[in-house]
Amino acid sequence: MKIHRLLFALPLVFAAACGDDGKGAIDAPGTVDAPSDAGPPDASCFTNPTTYNEIINACTTAQKVFKDSHPPLLMPDGLVPPLP
Amino acid sequence: MTRLFAIGALVFALAVPRAASAADCDTLGLGTLVYAQVGDTQSNLMKRLGRALRGNTARPLTLVFRTSPSCVNIDQIFLQTPIPAATVMQYVPSTTEDAGWTPASPTLTCTIPAGAGVVPDVANSALFNSACPNGGTTPAHVKTTNGATQAYVFAVPEASTQTAITFEEAYFVFGFGTAGMVTPWNDEAQLFIRALTTSTLLAWAANISVPGPKWKGAQQTGTMGSSLVVSRLASSTSPEKAIGILGAEVYDNERNRLNVLAYRAKGQYAAYYPDSTATSRDKKNVRDGHYTVWSPTVWMDRVNGATPLNADARYIVDLLTSAPTVTPAPNFDMLGIITAGGLVPVCAMRVQRSFEGGPLSLYTPPAGCTCKYERLVDTTSCATCSPTQACTTGVCRDGFCEAP
Repeated sequence: MKIHRLLFALPLVFAAACGDDGKGAIDAPGTVDAPSDAGPPDASCFTNPTTYNEIINACTTAQKVFKDSHPPLLMPDGLVPPLP
Repeated sequence: MTRLFAIGALVFALAVPRAASAADCDTLGLGTLVYAQVGDTQSNLMKRLGRALRGNTARPLTLVFRTSPSCVNIDQIFLQTPIPAATVMQYVPSTTEDAGWTPASPTLTCTIPAGAGVVPDVANSALFNSACPNGGTTPAHVKTTNGATQAYVFAVPEASTQTAITFEEAYFVFGFGTAGMVTPWNDEAQLFIRALTTSTLLAWAANISVPGPKWKGAQQTGTMGSSLVVSRLASSTSPEKAIGILGAEVYDNERNRLNVLAYRAKGQYAAYYPDSTATSRDKKNVRDGHYTVWSPTVWMDRVNGATPLNADARYIVDLLTSAPTVTPAPNFDMLGIITAGGLVPVCAMRVQRSFEGGPLSLYTPPAGCTCKYERLVDTTSCATCSPTQACTTGVCRDGFCEAP
Protein backbone atom coordinates (compact mmCIF):
# COMPACT_ATOMS: atom_id res chain seq x y z
CA MET A 1 0.00 0.00 0.00
CA LYS A 2 2.73 2.44 0.93
CA ILE A 3 4.62 1.71 -2.30
CA HIS A 4 1.38 2.32 -4.19
CA ARG A 5 1.01 5.65 -2.42
CA LEU A 6 4.56 6.61 -3.24
CA LEU A 7 4.20 5.70 -6.89
CA PHE A 8 1.02 7.72 -7.06
CA ALA A 9 2.64 10.78 -5.59
CA LEU A 10 6.07 10.72 -7.21
CA PRO A 11 4.96 12.02 -10.63
CA LEU A 12 3.32 14.93 -8.88
CA VAL A 13 6.52 15.61 -7.02
CA PHE A 14 8.58 15.76 -10.18
CA ALA A 15 5.92 17.70 -12.02
CA ALA A 16 5.36 20.30 -9.40
CA ALA A 17 8.25 20.50 -7.00
CA CYS A 18 10.65 23.35 -7.19
CA GLY A 19 14.06 22.94 -5.66
CA ASP A 20 15.31 24.46 -2.47
CA ASP A 21 17.67 26.56 -4.53
CA GLY A 22 14.72 28.16 -6.25
CA LYS A 23 15.99 27.40 -9.75
CA GLY A 24 13.08 27.21 -12.11
CA ALA A 25 10.72 28.39 -9.45
CA ILE A 26 7.79 30.56 -10.32
CA ASP A 27 8.69 32.89 -7.55
CA ALA A 28 6.43 35.82 -7.14
CA PRO A 29 5.77 36.54 -3.51
CA GLY A 30 2.66 38.55 -3.07
CA THR A 31 1.41 37.94 -6.57
CA VAL A 32 -0.02 34.47 -6.13
CA ASP A 33 -3.48 34.26 -4.73
CA ALA A 34 -3.78 31.54 -2.14
CA PRO A 35 -6.72 29.40 -3.14
CA SER A 36 -9.21 28.52 -0.44
CA ASP A 37 -9.82 25.30 -2.33
CA ALA A 38 -7.38 23.17 -4.22
CA GLY A 39 -8.18 24.21 -7.75
CA PRO A 40 -5.62 23.16 -10.32
CA PRO A 41 -2.19 22.17 -8.99
CA ASP A 42 -0.14 25.29 -8.54
CA ALA A 43 3.61 24.94 -8.79
CA SER A 44 4.25 28.41 -7.46
CA CYS A 45 6.44 28.60 -4.44
CA PHE A 46 8.51 31.09 -2.50
CA THR A 47 12.27 30.88 -2.42
CA ASN A 48 12.94 33.22 0.48
CA PRO A 49 9.86 32.98 2.64
CA THR A 50 9.26 35.46 5.41
CA THR A 51 5.50 35.61 5.98
CA TYR A 52 3.27 32.78 7.12
CA ASN A 53 1.73 32.35 3.68
CA GLU A 54 5.18 32.21 2.12
CA ILE A 55 6.51 29.76 4.72
CA ILE A 56 3.75 27.22 4.17
CA ASN A 57 4.15 27.58 0.40
CA ALA A 58 7.93 27.76 0.31
CA CYS A 59 9.83 25.86 -2.34
CA THR A 60 10.72 22.40 -1.15
CA THR A 61 11.91 19.05 -2.36
CA ALA A 62 9.41 17.35 -0.07
CA GLN A 63 6.67 15.17 -1.50
CA LYS A 64 3.53 17.13 -2.34
CA VAL A 65 0.02 15.79 -2.61
CA PHE A 66 -2.38 17.85 -4.70
CA LYS A 67 -6.03 17.29 -4.02
CA ASP A 68 -8.92 18.64 -6.04
CA SER A 69 -11.47 18.85 -3.28
CA HIS A 70 -14.91 20.43 -3.35
CA PRO A 71 -16.82 19.68 -0.15
CA PRO A 72 -20.55 20.02 -0.92
CA LEU A 73 -21.13 22.55 1.84
CA LEU A 74 -18.28 24.84 0.81
CA MET A 75 -19.66 28.28 0.01
CA PRO A 76 -19.32 29.73 -3.51
CA ASP A 77 -16.66 32.15 -2.34
CA GLY A 78 -14.58 29.26 -1.05
CA LEU A 79 -15.22 30.03 2.59
CA VAL A 80 -16.68 27.61 5.10
CA PRO A 81 -20.05 28.22 6.75
CA PRO A 82 -20.42 28.53 10.54
CA LEU A 83 -20.41 25.32 12.52
CA PRO A 84 -23.81 23.90 13.49
CA MET B 1 -11.09 -10.40 11.02
CA THR B 2 -10.44 -12.67 13.97
CA ARG B 3 -6.76 -12.29 13.23
CA LEU B 4 -7.09 -8.52 13.25
CA PHE B 5 -8.74 -8.54 16.64
CA ALA B 6 -6.11 -10.93 17.96
CA ILE B 7 -3.30 -8.66 16.77
CA GLY B 8 -5.05 -5.65 18.22
CA ALA B 9 -5.52 -7.36 21.55
CA LEU B 10 -1.89 -8.41 21.61
CA VAL B 11 -0.65 -4.90 20.87
CA PHE B 12 -2.97 -3.43 23.47
CA ALA B 13 -1.77 -5.96 26.03
CA LEU B 14 1.84 -5.10 25.32
CA ALA B 15 1.13 -1.41 25.71
CA VAL B 16 -0.45 -1.80 29.12
CA PRO B 17 1.93 -1.46 32.04
CA ARG B 18 2.87 -4.74 33.65
CA ALA B 19 2.08 -5.01 37.32
CA ALA B 20 5.34 -6.28 38.70
CA SER B 21 4.38 -5.15 42.15
CA ALA B 22 1.47 -3.41 43.78
CA ALA B 23 3.79 -2.07 46.43
CA ASP B 24 4.13 1.56 47.32
CA CYS B 25 6.62 3.23 45.03
CA ASP B 26 8.75 4.38 47.96
CA THR B 27 9.19 0.86 49.35
CA LEU B 28 10.81 -0.71 46.30
CA GLY B 29 14.32 0.58 46.82
CA LEU B 30 14.18 2.58 43.65
CA GLY B 31 16.38 5.37 44.92
CA THR B 32 15.39 8.98 44.42
CA LEU B 33 11.89 9.21 42.97
CA VAL B 34 10.56 12.00 40.81
CA TYR B 35 6.82 11.91 40.17
CA ALA B 36 5.57 13.05 36.80
CA GLN B 37 2.18 13.34 35.14
CA VAL B 38 2.38 13.60 31.36
CA GLY B 39 0.30 13.34 28.21
CA ASP B 40 0.02 9.88 26.74
CA THR B 41 1.81 11.13 23.63
CA GLN B 42 4.88 11.39 25.84
CA SER B 43 4.94 7.72 26.87
CA ASN B 44 7.75 6.83 24.48
CA LEU B 45 9.82 9.70 25.76
CA MET B 46 9.17 8.85 29.40
CA LYS B 47 10.19 5.24 28.91
CA ARG B 48 13.44 6.13 27.19
CA LEU B 49 14.32 8.92 29.59
CA GLY B 50 13.27 6.82 32.57
CA ARG B 51 15.65 4.07 31.53
CA ALA B 52 18.51 6.50 31.00
CA LEU B 53 17.95 8.25 34.32
CA ARG B 54 18.07 4.95 36.21
CA GLY B 55 21.61 4.52 34.93
CA ASN B 56 22.67 8.15 35.10
CA THR B 57 25.78 7.65 37.19
CA ALA B 58 26.24 11.23 38.34
CA ARG B 59 22.61 11.66 39.33
CA PRO B 60 20.57 8.43 39.22
CA LEU B 61 16.83 9.06 39.41
CA THR B 62 13.69 7.00 39.08
CA LEU B 63 11.00 8.63 37.00
CA VAL B 64 7.63 7.51 38.32
CA PHE B 65 4.92 8.65 35.95
CA ARG B 66 1.35 8.34 34.84
CA THR B 67 -0.37 9.56 31.70
CA SER B 68 -3.45 11.73 31.51
CA PRO B 69 -4.76 14.47 29.22
CA SER B 70 -2.70 17.63 28.96
CA CYS B 71 -5.38 19.95 30.36
CA VAL B 72 -5.80 17.64 33.35
CA ASN B 73 -2.05 17.75 33.95
CA ILE B 74 -2.05 21.53 33.89
CA ASP B 75 -4.86 21.66 36.44
CA GLN B 76 -3.09 19.11 38.61
CA ILE B 77 0.07 21.13 39.07
CA PHE B 78 -1.54 24.57 38.92
CA LEU B 79 -3.93 23.60 41.74
CA GLN B 80 -1.31 21.43 43.45
CA THR B 81 -3.75 18.56 43.54
CA PRO B 82 -2.17 15.37 44.89
CA ILE B 83 -2.25 12.16 42.92
CA PRO B 84 -4.31 10.05 45.34
CA ALA B 85 -2.79 7.29 47.43
CA ALA B 86 -2.88 3.85 45.79
CA THR B 87 -2.92 5.32 42.28
CA VAL B 88 -1.04 3.02 39.93
CA MET B 89 2.09 4.64 38.48
CA GLN B 90 4.62 3.48 35.91
CA TYR B 91 8.38 3.25 35.97
CA VAL B 92 11.06 1.38 34.05
CA PRO B 93 13.59 -1.06 35.42
CA SER B 94 17.25 -0.28 35.67
CA THR B 95 19.75 -2.28 33.66
CA THR B 96 20.59 -4.21 36.81
CA GLU B 97 16.95 -5.06 37.40
CA ASP B 98 16.24 -6.08 33.81
CA ALA B 99 19.06 -5.95 31.30
CA GLY B 100 16.79 -7.02 28.46
CA TRP B 101 14.21 -4.28 28.88
CA THR B 102 13.64 -2.07 25.84
CA PRO B 103 11.25 0.84 25.21
CA ALA B 104 9.00 -1.65 23.43
CA SER B 105 8.66 -3.58 26.69
CA PRO B 106 5.88 -2.78 29.15
CA THR B 107 6.59 -0.56 32.09
CA LEU B 108 6.53 -1.77 35.68
CA THR B 109 4.03 -0.41 38.16
CA CYS B 110 3.92 0.75 41.73
CA THR B 111 1.41 2.75 43.71
CA ILE B 112 1.33 6.16 45.31
CA PRO B 113 2.14 5.66 49.00
CA ALA B 114 -0.58 5.70 51.60
CA GLY B 115 -1.40 9.11 53.00
CA ALA B 116 -2.30 12.43 51.47
CA GLY B 117 -1.08 11.56 48.01
CA VAL B 118 1.67 13.18 45.95
CA VAL B 119 1.57 16.40 43.97
CA PRO B 120 3.45 15.69 40.75
CA ASP B 121 6.96 17.09 40.72
CA VAL B 122 6.83 17.43 36.95
CA ALA B 123 3.79 17.94 34.76
CA ASN B 124 3.52 18.08 31.01
CA SER B 125 1.16 19.41 28.41
CA ALA B 126 1.76 18.63 24.78
CA LEU B 127 0.40 21.92 23.52
CA PHE B 128 0.41 25.57 24.49
CA ASN B 129 -1.07 25.76 27.97
CA SER B 130 -3.27 28.63 26.86
CA ALA B 131 -5.24 26.20 24.69
CA CYS B 132 -6.61 24.56 27.84
CA PRO B 133 -9.52 26.12 29.74
CA ASN B 134 -7.49 26.86 32.88
CA GLY B 135 -4.05 27.10 31.34
CA GLY B 136 -3.93 30.75 30.38
CA THR B 137 -2.38 32.14 33.55
CA THR B 138 0.50 30.34 35.19
CA PRO B 139 0.45 30.59 39.00
CA ALA B 140 3.52 31.88 40.81
CA HIS B 141 4.35 28.45 42.21
CA VAL B 142 4.78 26.88 38.77
CA LYS B 143 7.55 27.36 36.25
CA THR B 144 6.77 26.46 32.65
CA THR B 145 9.41 25.76 30.02
CA ASN B 146 8.81 24.85 26.40
CA GLY B 147 10.49 21.72 25.14
CA ALA B 148 10.61 19.70 21.94
CA THR B 149 8.01 19.90 19.22
CA GLN B 150 5.13 17.45 19.05
CA ALA B 151 3.36 16.93 15.71
CA TYR B 152 -0.15 15.58 15.29
CA VAL B 153 -1.56 13.61 12.39
CA PHE B 154 -4.68 12.31 10.76
CA ALA B 155 -4.26 8.56 10.38
CA VAL B 156 -6.24 6.03 8.38
CA PRO B 157 -6.16 2.24 8.21
CA GLU B 158 -3.55 0.63 6.01
CA ALA B 159 -6.34 -0.56 3.74
CA SER B 160 -7.59 2.98 3.05
CA THR B 161 -6.72 4.48 -0.34
CA GLN B 162 -6.83 8.06 0.99
CA THR B 163 -3.62 10.06 0.89
CA ALA B 164 -4.54 13.62 1.89
CA ILE B 165 -7.07 15.83 3.61
CA THR B 166 -7.55 19.56 3.29
CA PHE B 167 -8.37 22.16 5.93
CA GLU B 168 -11.83 22.55 4.43
CA GLU B 169 -12.49 18.80 4.39
CA ALA B 170 -11.35 18.43 7.98
CA TYR B 171 -13.56 21.35 9.00
CA PHE B 172 -16.64 19.65 7.55
CA VAL B 173 -15.72 16.12 8.62
CA PHE B 174 -15.14 16.91 12.28
CA GLY B 175 -17.33 20.01 12.60
CA PHE B 176 -20.41 18.63 10.84
CA GLY B 177 -19.93 14.88 11.00
CA THR B 178 -22.15 12.91 8.68
CA ALA B 179 -23.96 16.12 7.69
CA GLY B 180 -20.68 17.44 6.30
CA MET B 181 -21.06 15.04 3.36
CA VAL B 182 -17.33 14.74 2.75
CA THR B 183 -16.62 11.47 1.00
CA PRO B 184 -15.40 9.03 2.25
CA TRP B 185 -15.36 10.35 5.84
CA ASN B 186 -19.12 10.64 6.23
CA ASP B 187 -19.75 8.12 9.01
CA GLU B 188 -19.39 9.61 12.50
CA ALA B 189 -18.91 6.14 13.98
CA GLN B 190 -15.68 5.91 11.97
CA LEU B 191 -14.24 9.23 13.19
CA PHE B 192 -11.98 8.22 16.06
CA ILE B 193 -11.23 11.25 18.18
CA ARG B 194 -9.82 11.92 21.64
CA ALA B 195 -11.21 13.50 24.78
CA LEU B 196 -11.74 17.26 24.92
CA THR B 197 -8.90 17.69 27.41
CA THR B 198 -6.25 16.06 25.25
CA SER B 199 -3.54 17.87 23.34
CA THR B 200 -4.20 15.72 20.29
CA LEU B 201 -7.77 16.96 19.91
CA LEU B 202 -7.11 20.54 21.00
CA ALA B 203 -4.14 20.94 18.68
CA TRP B 204 -6.20 19.76 15.74
CA ALA B 205 -9.13 21.86 16.96
CA ALA B 206 -7.03 25.00 16.75
CA ASN B 207 -5.70 24.09 13.33
CA ILE B 208 -9.01 23.22 11.65
CA SER B 209 -11.07 25.91 13.40
CA VAL B 210 -13.41 23.43 15.07
CA PRO B 211 -13.49 24.08 18.83
CA GLY B 212 -13.19 20.95 20.96
CA PRO B 213 -16.80 20.81 22.19
CA LYS B 214 -18.01 20.99 18.57
CA TRP B 215 -16.18 17.89 17.40
CA LYS B 216 -18.16 15.02 15.91
CA GLY B 217 -16.96 11.46 16.18
CA ALA B 218 -16.41 8.55 18.52
CA GLN B 219 -14.38 9.74 21.50
CA GLN B 220 -11.74 7.34 22.75
CA THR B 221 -11.23 8.22 26.38
CA GLY B 222 -9.12 7.00 29.27
CA THR B 223 -5.41 6.97 29.88
CA MET B 224 -4.86 4.75 26.85
CA GLY B 225 -6.82 6.93 24.42
CA SER B 226 -4.16 6.94 21.72
CA SER B 227 -3.89 3.15 21.85
CA LEU B 228 -7.65 2.92 21.47
CA VAL B 229 -7.62 5.16 18.40
CA VAL B 230 -4.93 2.95 16.91
CA SER B 231 -6.82 -0.26 17.59
CA ARG B 232 -10.13 1.16 16.34
CA LEU B 233 -8.52 2.28 13.10
CA ALA B 234 -6.60 -0.93 12.59
CA SER B 235 -9.65 -3.10 13.18
CA SER B 236 -12.19 -0.94 11.34
CA THR B 237 -14.56 -2.88 9.14
CA SER B 238 -14.96 0.24 7.00
CA PRO B 239 -11.33 1.21 6.43
CA GLU B 240 -12.09 3.69 3.66
CA LYS B 241 -14.37 5.67 5.96
CA ALA B 242 -12.19 5.44 9.03
CA ILE B 243 -9.99 8.31 10.18
CA GLY B 244 -8.47 9.18 13.53
CA ILE B 245 -6.23 11.70 15.26
CA LEU B 246 -2.92 10.74 16.82
CA GLY B 247 0.37 12.15 17.97
CA ALA B 248 2.90 11.71 15.19
CA GLU B 249 5.16 9.61 17.38
CA VAL B 250 2.26 7.27 18.14
CA TYR B 251 1.67 6.89 14.42
CA ASP B 252 5.38 6.34 13.83
CA ASN B 253 5.20 3.19 15.93
CA GLU B 254 2.14 1.94 14.05
CA ARG B 255 3.20 2.44 10.45
CA ASN B 256 2.72 -1.21 9.67
CA ARG B 257 -1.01 -0.90 10.45
CA LEU B 258 -1.87 2.72 9.63
CA ASN B 259 -1.19 5.38 7.02
CA VAL B 260 -0.72 9.08 7.67
CA LEU B 261 -2.62 11.62 5.59
CA ALA B 262 -0.90 14.60 4.08
CA TYR B 263 -2.56 17.79 5.32
CA ARG B 264 -3.18 20.97 3.37
CA ALA B 265 -3.58 23.94 5.67
CA LYS B 266 -5.79 26.89 4.87
CA GLY B 267 -4.13 28.94 2.15
CA GLN B 268 -1.64 26.22 1.27
CA TYR B 269 -1.21 25.06 -2.33
CA ALA B 270 -0.44 21.42 -1.62
CA ALA B 271 -0.80 18.92 1.17
CA TYR B 272 2.26 17.69 3.03
CA TYR B 273 3.16 14.84 5.33
CA PRO B 274 4.96 15.62 8.59
CA ASP B 275 7.97 13.97 6.98
CA SER B 276 9.43 14.76 3.59
CA THR B 277 7.72 11.70 2.12
CA ALA B 278 5.01 9.32 3.28
CA THR B 279 7.63 6.80 4.27
CA SER B 280 10.47 8.89 5.69
CA ARG B 281 10.91 9.83 9.34
CA ASP B 282 12.72 13.15 9.11
CA LYS B 283 9.91 15.53 10.20
CA LYS B 284 11.27 17.88 7.58
CA ASN B 285 7.93 19.52 6.93
CA VAL B 286 7.37 20.08 10.63
CA ARG B 287 10.77 21.65 10.95
CA ASP B 288 10.43 24.01 7.98
CA GLY B 289 6.74 24.91 8.28
CA HIS B 290 5.15 22.96 5.43
CA TYR B 291 3.31 20.77 7.94
CA THR B 292 1.50 23.11 10.29
CA VAL B 293 -0.07 20.88 12.92
CA TRP B 294 2.36 20.84 15.80
CA SER B 295 2.73 22.18 19.31
CA PRO B 296 5.50 22.63 21.80
CA THR B 297 5.70 20.24 24.68
CA VAL B 298 5.44 22.27 27.87
CA TRP B 299 7.18 21.06 31.01
CA MET B 300 6.23 22.35 34.43
CA ASP B 301 7.75 22.06 37.87
CA ARG B 302 6.99 23.77 41.15
CA VAL B 303 8.96 26.68 42.49
CA ASN B 304 9.25 28.95 45.47
CA GLY B 305 10.11 32.22 43.84
CA ALA B 306 12.97 31.39 41.51
CA THR B 307 13.99 28.29 43.45
CA PRO B 308 12.76 24.89 42.35
CA LEU B 309 10.96 22.97 45.09
CA ASN B 310 12.56 19.78 43.86
CA ALA B 311 16.02 20.10 42.33
CA ASP B 312 15.75 16.65 40.78
CA ALA B 313 12.53 17.63 39.06
CA ARG B 314 14.22 20.73 37.68
CA TYR B 315 17.10 18.57 36.51
CA ILE B 316 14.68 16.47 34.49
CA VAL B 317 12.91 19.54 33.11
CA ASP B 318 16.26 21.01 32.13
CA LEU B 319 17.08 17.83 30.24
CA LEU B 320 13.69 17.76 28.51
CA THR B 321 13.90 21.39 27.48
CA SER B 322 17.53 21.31 26.37
CA ALA B 323 18.69 23.88 28.88
CA PRO B 324 22.08 25.32 27.90
CA THR B 325 23.66 23.92 31.05
CA VAL B 326 22.54 20.77 32.81
CA THR B 327 24.53 19.93 35.91
CA PRO B 328 25.74 17.26 36.37
CA ALA B 329 26.05 16.39 32.72
CA PRO B 330 24.12 13.18 32.01
CA ASN B 331 25.88 10.08 30.76
CA PHE B 332 23.43 9.75 27.88
CA ASP B 333 22.56 11.69 24.74
CA MET B 334 19.39 13.61 25.57
CA LEU B 335 18.96 14.80 21.99
CA GLY B 336 18.95 11.18 20.92
CA ILE B 337 16.31 10.33 23.49
CA ILE B 338 14.07 13.23 22.46
CA THR B 339 14.44 12.25 18.83
CA ALA B 340 13.83 8.57 19.47
CA GLY B 341 10.75 9.60 21.44
CA GLY B 342 9.31 10.97 18.22
CA LEU B 343 9.75 14.65 19.01
CA VAL B 344 11.69 17.34 17.19
CA PRO B 345 14.20 19.15 19.39
CA VAL B 346 13.82 22.91 19.31
CA CYS B 347 17.38 23.25 18.01
CA ALA B 348 16.28 21.49 14.80
CA MET B 349 13.28 23.75 14.20
CA ARG B 350 13.30 26.56 11.66
CA VAL B 351 9.83 27.89 12.41
CA GLN B 352 8.00 28.88 15.58
CA ARG B 353 4.57 29.99 16.72
CA SER B 354 3.29 31.69 19.85
CA PHE B 355 -0.11 30.13 20.41
CA GLU B 356 -1.96 26.98 19.46
CA GLY B 357 -2.62 26.87 15.73
CA GLY B 358 -1.11 30.35 15.38
CA PRO B 359 0.78 31.57 12.32
CA LEU B 360 4.30 30.33 11.82
CA SER B 361 7.28 32.63 11.66
CA LEU B 362 10.91 31.94 10.90
CA TYR B 363 13.13 30.79 13.75
CA THR B 364 16.87 30.48 14.15
CA PRO B 365 17.93 28.44 17.17
CA PRO B 366 20.87 29.76 19.16
CA ALA B 367 22.79 26.53 18.57
CA GLY B 368 21.29 24.59 15.69
CA CYS B 369 21.30 20.78 15.58
CA THR B 370 19.68 20.10 12.21
CA CYS B 371 22.58 17.97 10.97
CA LYS B 372 22.71 15.85 14.09
CA TYR B 373 18.92 15.45 14.14
CA GLU B 374 18.87 14.37 10.50
CA ARG B 375 21.62 11.85 11.17
CA LEU B 376 19.70 10.46 14.12
CA VAL B 377 16.51 9.91 12.12
CA ASP B 378 18.03 9.05 8.76
CA THR B 379 20.97 10.51 6.88
CA THR B 380 22.31 14.00 6.54
CA SER B 381 24.13 15.72 3.74
CA CYS B 382 26.01 17.85 6.26
CA ALA B 383 29.76 17.68 6.37
CA THR B 384 31.34 16.04 9.38
CA CYS B 385 34.04 17.60 11.50
CA SER B 386 36.31 16.84 14.41
CA PRO B 387 38.97 18.59 16.51
CA THR B 388 41.42 17.85 13.70
CA GLN B 389 39.03 18.45 10.82
CA ALA B 390 37.53 21.94 10.80
CA CYS B 391 34.40 22.93 8.93
CA THR B 392 34.73 24.76 5.64
CA THR B 393 31.45 26.45 6.39
CA GLY B 394 29.35 26.44 9.51
CA VAL B 395 30.20 25.57 13.08
CA CYS B 396 31.47 22.22 14.26
CA ARG B 397 28.95 20.90 16.75
CA ASP B 398 28.58 17.26 17.83
CA GLY B 399 30.66 16.16 14.87
CA PHE B 400 28.69 17.98 12.19
CA CYS B 401 29.14 21.31 10.45
CA GLU B 402 25.95 22.99 11.58
CA ALA B 403 24.67 26.34 10.39
CA PRO B 404 26.07 29.05 12.64
